[in-house]
Amino acid sequence: MTSPTLASVSVGDEIASLTRTVTQEQIGAYAEASGDFNPIHLDAEFATSVGLPGTIAHGLLEMGILADAISRWAGSSEALASLEVRFSKPLRAGESITCNGKVVAVDEDQGLATMDVEAVSSRGERVLTNGRAVVRLTR
Amino acid sequence: MADAISGADGGGAAGAVPPTFAAVYCLAPTLAQLFTDPEVGINLAGLIHGEQRFEWPEPVHPGDIVDAEAEIVSVEEKRGMTFVGLDILATRQADSAVVCRGRSLMIVRGG
Repeated sequence: MTSPTLASVSVGDEIASLTRTVTQEQIGAYAEASGDFNPIHLDAEFATSVGLPGTIAHGLLEMGILADAISRWAGSSEALASLEVRFSKPLRAGESITCNGKVVAVDEDQGLATMDVEAVSSRGERVLTNGRAVVRLTR
Repeated sequence: MADAISGADGGGAAGAVPPTFAAVYCLAPTLAQLFTDPEVGINLAGLIHGEQRFEWPEPVHPGDIVDAEAEIVSVEEKRGMTFVGLDILATRQADSAVVCRGRSLMIVRGG
């Protein structure tokens, strides 16, 4: 697949949907990688004691999967100029996350595409909402 | 706080680190300071990530040394929770270029 360019991208274009299952092992590895050992991610007993359904994925792990989905479409992670999301619902260990995105604006002068992005869980919950990404496009 | 970035793999084709590696060079060093400061008085174990925005003016590469600083820009109590807003700025030591601007909303339950 060739990477999109400023000339080829149009409003309404969609990225290829990306689904990843997030296991407890991956959450543990992400804790090691990120240095975030908050027990809500690692200790089921603690997580339920603070009202969560069980251990949950780090929000930034979900955001990393979303960034991967956008980067695959853009052709490089370096094309990603900005990304913002709201972590609306927790993603439980063992669930899958599916990321989607659609171009909502193209700035010809700046060479940027703005996308609405989001992610839903395998339970059908909208885990990442209010998502917005800006991608740098080559001419 | 300065973080030397080394051995990162799995980034872009040209060897940049993945964008959300900002979790490591941007958030981890600053949050660790903020939320272990007894003056701030936040219980890290009850912390939930509410919202996150990152801007990456330039990619970060293995070997870069990055300085990160964060400022608490808002604290709001509602529904028995505390919402803490943070602005984070990460700069590359070699040329002082801004490599990441972050805005975080953290939620402390039972605040």
